[in-house]
Amino acid sequence: MANKRNKDWGAYLYLMPVLVILLAFHVLPIFYSLAVSFYEWDLIGQPEYVGTGNYSRLFDDPLFYKSLWNTIYYAAVSVPLSIFLSLIIAMLLNNPISAIGLYRTVYFIPVITSINAVAIIWNFIYHPDFGLLNKILDIFSIDPRAWLQDPTWAMPAIIFMSVWKGLGYNVIIFLTGLQNIPRHLYEAARIDGANRWHQFRHITWPLLSPTTFFIFTISTIGSFQVFSQVYMMTPRGGPLKSTMVVVYYLYRKAFEQFEFGYALAAAFVLFMIIFACTLFNKLYLEKKVHYS
Amino acid sequence: MRNFLIATLICWVVVVGLIIQHDRETSGPTETDKAGGKTQIVFWHAMGGPLGIVMEDLVTRYNNSQANYYVKSVNMGSYDTLAKKVLASLVANEAPDISQNYETLTKKFIKHHKIVCLDDLIASEPEDIKADIVPVLLENNTFDGKLYSFPFNKSVPVLYYNKNMFAKVGLDPARGPESLDEMFEYCRKITKYHQETPGEDKSVYGYGCSKANVWSFLNRILQHGGKIVYDGPDGVMKSGFAEPAAIKSLEFLQNMLREGVAREGQGFDHQNDFIAGKVAMIESSIVSKVFMEADIKDFDYGIAPLPGYKIKSGEGNLPETKEGEINRGVILSGSNINIFNNGDEKKVAGAWDFVKWFTSTDIGAEWSVRTTYLPVRKSSVNSDIVKKALEQDPNLEAPFVQLDYCDFEPRLSVWFEIRDLMADHLERATIDMGPAETYCTQMAKDVDAILKHATR
Repeated sequence: MANKRNKDWGAYLYLMPVLVILLAFHVLPIFYSLAVSFYEWDLIGQPEYVGTGNYSRLFDDPLFYKSLWNTIYYAAVSVPLSIFLSLIIAMLLNNPISAIGLYRTVYFIPVITSINAVAIIWNFIYHPDFGLLNKILDIFSIDPRAWLQDPTWAMPAIIFMSVWKGLGYNVIIFLTGLQNIPRHLYEAARIDGANRWHQFRHITWPLLSPTTFFIFTISTIGSFQVFSQVYMMTPRGGPLKSTMVVVYYLYRKAFEQFEFGYALAAAFVLFMIIFACTLFNKLYLEKKVHYS
Repeated sequence: MRNFLIATLICWVVVVGLIIQHDRETSGPTETDKAGGKTQIVFWHAMGGPLGIVMEDLVTRYNNSQANYYVKSVNMGSYDTLAKKVLASLVANEAPDISQNYETLTKKFIKHHKIVCLDDLIASEPEDIKADIVPVLLENNTFDGKLYSFPFNKSVPVLYYNKNMFAKVGLDPARGPESLDEMFEYCRKITKYHQETPGEDKSVYGYGCSKANVWSFLNRILQHGGKIVYDGPDGVMKSGFAEPAAIKSLEFLQNMLREGVAREGQGFDHQNDFIAGKVAMIESSIVSKVFMEADIKDFDYGIAPLPGYKIKSGEGNLPETKEGEINRGVILSGSNINIFNNGDEKKVAGAWDFVKWFTSTDIGAEWSVRTTYLPVRKSSVNSDIVKKALEQDPNLEAPFVQLDYCDFEPRLSVWFEIRDLMADHLERATIDMGPAETYCTQMAKDVDAILKHATR
């Protein structure tokens, strides 16, 4: 028995560094921000208790609803699009073709590139007068667009760039998932006369579902937190606030208008939304996941 | 593979080590050595590029000029970054001794006793400094009757115009348009000429500006005799955006865009278009001159005061007796300087000594001539340094002409929020191009809702 306790102690010792980091940088700030969200605080003065004042102001602000809607728009388009594209690419990269390592590396490069550097490059690509994209569209006789300056196109432009940026990460995870599917299942299916679609529908898709579920959950959380590309590519939240997302909204409240309590209230509402989404994924969608 | 990784790691460690070593060897004496027993004054600013060079030069001269203080100037990048760093440093109790700042933050600092009241420092001076400060700058830095920040680098908007293009279409290159109507005429003439003359670049416009430009909109309201924010009869603040002056200001821009004689761009696009000879006129800060002049190679450019509004009878808030006269108005931008209350008398005295030196008659005049910022003191405005510079470069004159009718934006804590909201409405107005009155009314409604809860 004593031996057992000693073993536990050792384990906790090993866990210590990560626990301290989690506590200091994740758990405590969450509770701290919840507390501050009930105060009016401009950082340099004394916080002043306002009860739920920040929250009621937040739910009165049409711009907050707009930013919420834009965030949902971003998540609803970028997550399925990213999963769809990365699954196709992963399946292609799962084939025994030459220079496969090179292809896999190429798809992963955007992931390890700084989002700020990427955003600057894409600003050039989207430039209305000199941008690469309009030049390419011109070849196909498609009229040029002012991508990031056009209220209709600004969000799709951001989504497209973000999907491109994050694709490699999902591809790698899908690739791992694909390689975990036993070969013999495909062989058996082929003997039974299953074509490529049948193989995908009845073997790949169900056996890949834990991976898909993982990617879906992680991407949903990530897409609700979208910020850097919006900040870098569409200052002020885009034309007519068409790319104003929740994190950018609260960033501006905190670091431009110095309303920290109010910004933290917005952050907490976002936290609750992400939490609810994740809970829904866990309780409802996970039932459909096929763990072999 | 593993050997390769280990080799890479070793290489990396060696290279980083060498760089650190090299840095140690080449870096001069550390800051404390340079201060050499003098009291160190930390100065945070946002002066980059050509402005930063002038700033560093003057700071070095100050440091060499006396034996008591050493000013360490740190460029923080943009005004936004500077403001964030100053706030964070105040929370961490590591504030600089002096920093550039906007008026809205100054108000916050006063409220929380973070800065020194300059009246106390000025009182011990033998010279009547306040009497020599340009009135609008003095007013801009006075809060509840007391001077809390010192005017430092204030600028005015001016009209830049392409002299070659003016001459080509038959306009007088020696002067810019006097009134808004005249500017509109010029734009028509220039655009039409380029579109109808064979061999000319058809994409040339008369006037270029940036989208959702609040600064320009506010200037125009003043030109039309309107008000920005004023106290309503019930003591509640009100904006003047739903009034005829504001509506006419927005209409003016919309009309130019509608006729296709003006072009809107993002950010600094209009400046680049001007440099590239794609637009004949732009409105921009006089300080843009020092950033643009090196790049303007293919033509001569002139700088004129912003055009004003020619008063017509039965229109606007302007007295009809002045019919035919031109009503002008420009709004200052740029920042002031704060001295922080860090509890060290010697540092406060040093900070004040530096600010006093920097804005003194001759140094202030030199700073103004080299950066185009307005001089702080009347004696600088009238100094030989400024006079000589104006003779050499007549383009420097426009800000001095405009000094008589300068105004500043409301110093409200909610002003940045309001500005952002205004930009949204202005943006919508030139994207959708509906009647100006609709956008102005809505803008006024939204801004008044914020003003209702705001305090002066």
